[in-house]
Parts: sequence; C-alpha cells; structure tokens
Amino acid sequence: MRRQQAVAAAVGVVVSLLAGLMILWLQGYPAAQSYSALFSYSLFSQFALFSTLNKASTLVLTGTSAAVGFGSNCINLGQVGQFLMGAMAAAAFGIAVGLPKWLTLPLVILASIVAGAGWSLLAALMKLKWRMNEFITTLMLNFVADYFTQWLISGPMLDPRAYSPMTRMTNPQAWLGMYNGLSGSVAVAACSFAVTWLVWNRSKFGYECRVMGQNPSFAAAGGCAVPRNFVLAMLLSGALAGLAGGLMVIGGMQHRFVKGIGANYAWDGVMIAIVAGNSITATGLYALFFAVLQTGAMGMELETAVPSEFALVLQAIVVLAVVASRESTRLFLAGLAARIRARRAIALGDARAAQAAQLAQRAEADHAAPTGGGQDEPRA
Amino acid sequence: MSGIVKVYPPDVLALDNVDIMIRWGTIHSIIGENGAGKSTLMKVLYGITPASAGRIFLDGRQVRFASPRQAVREGIGMVHQELMLIRSYTVWENVVVGSEPAAPLGTLKQAEARARVEELVTRWGLNLDPDAVVGDLSVSAQQKVEILKLLYRDASVLIMDEPTAVLTPQETSELFARLRQLNQAGGTIIFISHKLQEVLDISDEITVMRKGKRVMTAANEGLSRTDLARAMVGRDVVFAVGRQRSEPSGRGGTVDVGMKPRDAGSPAARGDERPHAARPALEVRGLSFTRPGAVKPALSDVSFDVSRGEILGVAGVEGNGQFELVQCITGALKPDAGSIRMDGRDVTGASVMERRRLMCSVPQDRKHTGSAQTMSITDNAIMAHHRLRPSLSARWRALLDPRACRGFCVDLMRRYSVVAPGPDAALAQLSGGNQQKVIVGREFSHDTGFVLLDNPTRGLDVGSIEFIHRQILNKRSGGAGCLLVSADLDELLALCDRILVMYEGRVAALLDGETADREAVGRAMLGLELSPEPGPGPGSEPEPEAGAEPRTEVGSE
Repeated sequence: MRRQQAVAAAVGVVVSLLAGLMILWLQGYPAAQSYSALFSYSLFSQFALFSTLNKASTLVLTGTSAAVGFGSNCINLGQVGQFLMGAMAAAAFGIAVGLPKWLTLPLVILASIVAGAGWSLLAALMKLKWRMNEFITTLMLNFVADYFTQWLISGPMLDPRAYSPMTRMTNPQAWLGMYNGLSGSVAVAACSFAVTWLVWNRSKFGYECRVMGQNPSFAAAGGCAVPRNFVLAMLLSGALAGLAGGLMVIGGMQHRFVKGIGANYAWDGVMIAIVAGNSITATGLYALFFAVLQTGAMGMELETAVPSEFALVLQAIVVLAVVASRESTRLFLAGLAARIRARRAIALGDARAAQAAQLAQRAEADHAAPTGGGQDEPRA
Repeated sequence: MSGIVKVYPPDVLALDNVDIMIRWGTIHSIIGENGAGKSTLMKVLYGITPASAGRIFLDGRQVRFASPRQAVREGIGMVHQELMLIRSYTVWENVVVGSEPAAPLGTLKQAEARARVEELVTRWGLNLDPDAVVGDLSVSAQQKVEILKLLYRDASVLIMDEPTAVLTPQETSELFARLRQLNQAGGTIIFISHKLQEVLDISDEITVMRKGKRVMTAANEGLSRTDLARAMVGRDVVFAVGRQRSEPSGRGGTVDVGMKPRDAGSPAARGDERPHAARPALEVRGLSFTRPGAVKPALSDVSFDVSRGEILGVAGVEGNGQFELVQCITGALKPDAGSIRMDGRDVTGASVMERRRLMCSVPQDRKHTGSAQTMSITDNAIMAHHRLRPSLSARWRALLDPRACRGFCVDLMRRYSVVAPGPDAALAQLSGGNQQKVIVGREFSHDTGFVLLDNPTRGLDVGSIEFIHRQILNKRSGGAGCLLVSADLDELLALCDRILVMYEGRVAALLDGETADREAVGRAMLGLELSPEPGPGPGSEPEPEAGAEPRTEVGSE
C-alpha cells in the first residue's frame, strides 16, 4: 500500500520534471543548464541549502495545516486568513512587548498560534452552531482577515516613517535571528512538524481524526467524539497556519507585517497537502521539494534567463502528475486484478466443462459396455 | 446467455461462467440470495454493465448491447427495483418520454401520443388514468406505468427486478395476474426475486443462482420451497442450523449461564430461573421517537428485555422502526421518550463511548458505519478498543502503542480466521466475508454483557454466515444477551430464543423462537391480527411441533 504510493509519487515527480524539461527545450531555453542551475541554487551550497530550508519551514507548516484539516475531514481552506492573523498577532505582540528575549519570543509565538487557531475556531463554531459548511466559511474569513490586516497596517498600525502600508518594526527581543543564513524559524517549524507527526500518527486523538477523515460515521459508531474532534482538528490546523504567519514576522528579515506578507504560502500549503494525500510525512517531503523548486527558480532566472515563474509551472505539473499517477496506479492495478480474475474464472469454467464432457464420455462408455463389465467383475 | 463472467474491480467475481437459456413465451424466474448475481446478470443482459466475458444470443443471433437503448430496440425491457419515473409528469408523458412521436418540426404530437397510451391502457386493462400525475400514484400504480412504458416500446421480453419488494400482498397478486396476461399474449417475462413462494406461484421455469453461479434450472413442476431454498443456500436452511448448535454450547458450558433445557416454560419464567439473569442485559422501556418533520412516529412505546444468555430476534418489514431502535440503543439517536438500561445502568442519555463499555455492536452497514475501507485492518480492528483497552496505550496514555495495536489485530485475525495479506493491508482488499469477520471479531472482543447485532450476515457467503452464527451462539453461551435485528427470517428462526416483531414502530408480537414459524412471524410483520390458525403453510419448515399454535405475547401496552 505505502510502497505503491511511493512508487506513484516517484513516477509523478520524474514525469513532471521531464515534462518541464520538454517545455524549456521547446521554448528554446538551454534546458539541461537551466535544470542544473535550478538544483545548484537550491541545494548545492550552504547558502542555497539554507535558503531552501527557510522557505521549506513555512511551507511545511502551511502544508501540515492543510493536511491535518483535510485528513480529518475538515475542509479548512482558511490558511490564508489564519496565516495573516498569526502574522499580525506576532507583529502586534512583538511591537508591544518589551520583556527579555526568553520570555518575549515564546509569548509572541504563542500569540500567533492562538490567533491562527482562534480564526479557525470561528469557522468551527459556525459549523457546530449553524451547520455552515467550513469549506465556505473559512474561505470567506480569508477576505475578512485580509482586509482587516490591510486596514490595520494602513491605519492604526501604520509605520509613520514608511512609504507603503506596513507596521513598525518589532522589538529585537522578538526576533528569532539568523545563523549563517539559516533562520531560527527552521528549528521551530521542525519541532512543530515533529509534534504534529506524533499527534497525527501515534496519538489516540490523531487516530480518531484519521478515521474521521476516511469515514466519519464509522468514527461516530465507534464512540469517537466527532464534534469535539472536529473542533480540535480545526484548532490544530489553524494553529499551524497561524504559526507559519508568526514565524514570517519573527523569523524573517523584515521583522514587521508588510503588505502581501503571506504571498502564496498558504495556497502552496493546500497544494502540498493534496499532492501528499494528507500524509504528514509526505507533506514534509513535498514541502522540501517545492521549496527546492521555488528557491532554485530564482537562480535559474539569473543563469539562463528562464523566468522564475517557471517554478509555478513545474509545481502545477507535479501536482497533476502525482495525483494522476496515484489514481491511475490504483485503477490500473484494480483493472489488472479484475482481468486476471475473469481469465481464471473462464479457464476454470473450461476445465469444468472439459471434466463434465469427460465424465459424460465415460458414462457413455460404461453405458455402451454394461453387459461386458458387469459380467467380468464377478468372475474376477 | 452463455459463459457470462463479470468481475467488479478489483476482484469481486459477480458472475462466474453463467449459462442460461430463456424460452420465448415463458415466465422464467431467477432466484438467489442477495449478492448471488441475479441483478448483475440482468444488467449485463440489458446492457447496463458490460460483461467481462461471455456471449448473448437472441433468437440464435449473437447480440451485444452497449446500452439499454439498444436492448429496448431489440424488444427487451426492464423494470427496475427502484422506479425511474418523473414524478411531476403525467402518466402518458412518462410513458412516451424518450420515444415521442414527433411532427416534422420536432414538435410533440401530443394528441397522438396520449391516444396511443390510452389505447394501451384499455387494451391491457391497466386501470390507469393517462392524465394523472405520477407523483400522486401509489407505488403499485407507478409500477404499472413502468410496465406501460415497456409495452409502448413493444417490448416482448420483460425483465422485472424484484418487483414485489415494494408491494403489498394484494398488489402482488394483481401484478401476477397482469404478468400472466402479458405472458398469454406471447410476452416473455424474466422475474427476479428471492421470495420462494412467489416464484413457485408464477413461473414456468426457475433458475437458482448462488455466489455468481447458476446452480440449477428446472421446470416448475413438483418443486417445493425446500428444494429451492436448499439450492439457493447450498444446504438445508431454516431448519436446524441453530438448534443443533445451541445444544452443544449448552452442554459444553463451563460458564453455564443461561443454558437451560430448551423447553423450559415461558421466556420470563426461564429468566427467573437463572440467578445471573437477575439484571437483564438490556431493558428498553416505553421508547418513542419521531423523526423531525415526520408525521408518524418511527418508534412508539417500545418495551422489551434482553436477558443474559438469550438471543432476542427483531423481525419486521424494513422501515418499521428497527433502524431507529438500533440507533437509539447505540446512542446515534436520542429518543423522545423512554429509557434504556444496560446491565441495570441507565444509559438513556449516555454518549456512544460510555455505552461502549456495556455493549458492543455489529452495524448493518459494513462499509458505512462498520469500517473505514481505505484504512488498514489494524486501524479498523482497534476502533473503540483504542480507548477502552489499556494494553493498546503507550506509556504516555494519550498515545497508542503501534506494536500492541498490530499484535492485537494479528491475534484477532487468527481467532476469527480472517484471510488477509496482513494486518497492514487495507480493509477494502478483503472479501466481504473477511471484512465482516474483522468487524465481528472487533466487536466481540469487547467483553460486554450486551451484544447488538444488526443484520450481521447481510450479503455474505454461506461459509462466513455459518462462522458468524457460531460466534453469536458462542457469545450467548458465554452469558451475553444478544439483540439480533435481521431481515432474514430464516436466520432469526434458526438462532433466536424469542422473536420480537415490529410493525409501524410498535412491538407487534413477541414469539417464542422454539415454536414460531415463518407464517406466524410473517403475519405479525404485516400487522395482521395473529390468528391462532394452526398448521403450517405449504412447504413449511420441518417444525417438530408444527401443529402447535405459536405462543404469542403482545408487547407493551
């Protein structure tokens, strides 16, 4: 089962990389050179590798946020909003709180987690109270969060010295810091990834969520508290997205909430969760892979003038190819099994017919020589 | 049809080299249990699903229908179990839709179409108003519209897929009269059913199918229900399976709870004899439930007890409250009134998980509520155990110990002889019987005094049915009280100590499993007064005391 998925994923990735190569070649770019630039600028130097990891730390969080949601049958598409609320909370606390670093940092991180979780809690409560589909409410809340934070950064929280909408810089106590270009957020993301993995794959709550994701009625019949788990899964999902936003502020270079801070991270996370089939482990791997593509694309643009948007094309192809190969592998194997089964049944039927014919023949033969046989035997 | 094979991916062999010949002008019945392949065979014939192999001949000419439309063109028509009519259209509109007589400009020749329909109605004496709106008609009248549709298209072969499932007995006999009339006019009718008596009443020839194979085809002369039942199931049915088993379980009782001489007095009296049974496994009192928006209550004032060491059967035509009863007991529904006690404890307001400490439950819908098909066998096996069984927890109680879970699953697979690639395989890879064994094993591994079984053998093969029946009887001899809801009367008669019959949400009768027969249960299921009419019907079960009047008690007042 798991091996089959791994094979499908590998096939999908290889096929999509080849497809990307074809596209480059058809458009007259030096394809091989572009690819080597893509990987050398994302993996093969310390700086490149660290940049990739920095990017991956955000993608891992938004990806696991989506995977936890989808995997437990909560269609949380509100990562954008939860991300922004988390980032805003981190910025606000980072500006307001001037305590020592060891106290400020956890406080700011906690604030972003709570903000993200709170934003998803709204949707969860609307589902429980009024049966509003979280798929829609989370999407709508994205707009609320977007315009709310835009208003904050262009009004009450606008940095008077800035020329574009952004908050003031946070206090240095709320900075995670960089270590040779490796952001401290990588460590935080890695920790939260490990915790999420443990909760999802090893805890009773995670087990119930996974069952809920596959078949909610089975979970309910088995005595799982489905509504409670739904809320908790939403909270976890929101918390991860909020943390991703918070790390953007405290772990980045700018240390403030700037307009457009979320970029595409939230939607990339949704995409990663879909490609990963909501598996947490696979989400981690795909987050790394997508970070490689996104980081490397900039290098590629420098070296061979292939626009960095090419990374988007590649990502899209990867999603399509992996998802398609996952489904088609399953269908192909199922169809193959069916065909084998049918052939075996036919062969068996033929054998049975032959046997029947043989029996009939023998019966006929017996019938033809009943007197001879009958007389022979007593003598013998 | 010759050598028809149909495999539903990945490996469900629905039809296994079926050869069948249907003569012109006959009424040919095809019977078999659920999942025997009757409907699949007809779907193949009618062009709804393609066969994996095999050939179909019509009048000696090989045909291949890619769609029902082509089958209709050859004069083959099918009335489905679920009627497919447009409810807001009138009768004649429903009949002509799809093959309307059209004027040159593509407009509908209304008058002509209506006249043709009316002519057909009078010719066949169908007693239908062509201008009535279909949604206002009764089910049997709608079925007539379906037949009319086929007549309008000049169908000479009529396939009727379990047409009587939705009809009352009176409507059934009317339908039969109509089918005979059609047959006399030269029509060929293929009649699908699993009701033995009907098939014997109407057919010229009968084909029995079992597990995707044609078991026999015979002219309907001198056949009895017993013959058909034996062919359908592959063994003698009602008759004795459970009875034989219950005795050894009684004798072998190291735990002698509840085992008693089978003929000891009334159920209540029996209960009193047993000290362990002082507290019934389940007590239901005055249970009432009305679905929001529904006029009629689904359950009204239902009361009964399940003693320890007893199997109480619940019979009834589907939709008479059994489903709601089960849901109230599992905790999926909150009853409007009444109380439920398990092992003496009131659980009326308890959550599902709280009830799970006192009961286990085999749900009727294996795929929907019984399992998560895409998950591994282990994940399916530990459900509810993951909270209730401390040995599955890791050192930190919020976590599960994966090795313990796997071990638990392996052990369960061994004890319940589950055939599977391994504990990590997805449940969907297993056959239905093995899936059900996993579910039954999981539930029966809960050491509870009350066992709820909702159609535990629906759609299973014979071997799995026997296995599960044996497990149920083991549970009983272990002292558990079982509530067995089943649509299969034979199963109830074979296993149950008492049979409760539900009709329109009420307890219509409480029969002794020992003396009850099909007829008595059947009458109660139809809500007919329980007449003390002695004597079994034709081809009735070999009850030793067949002449004895079934002992009945009417349930709650």
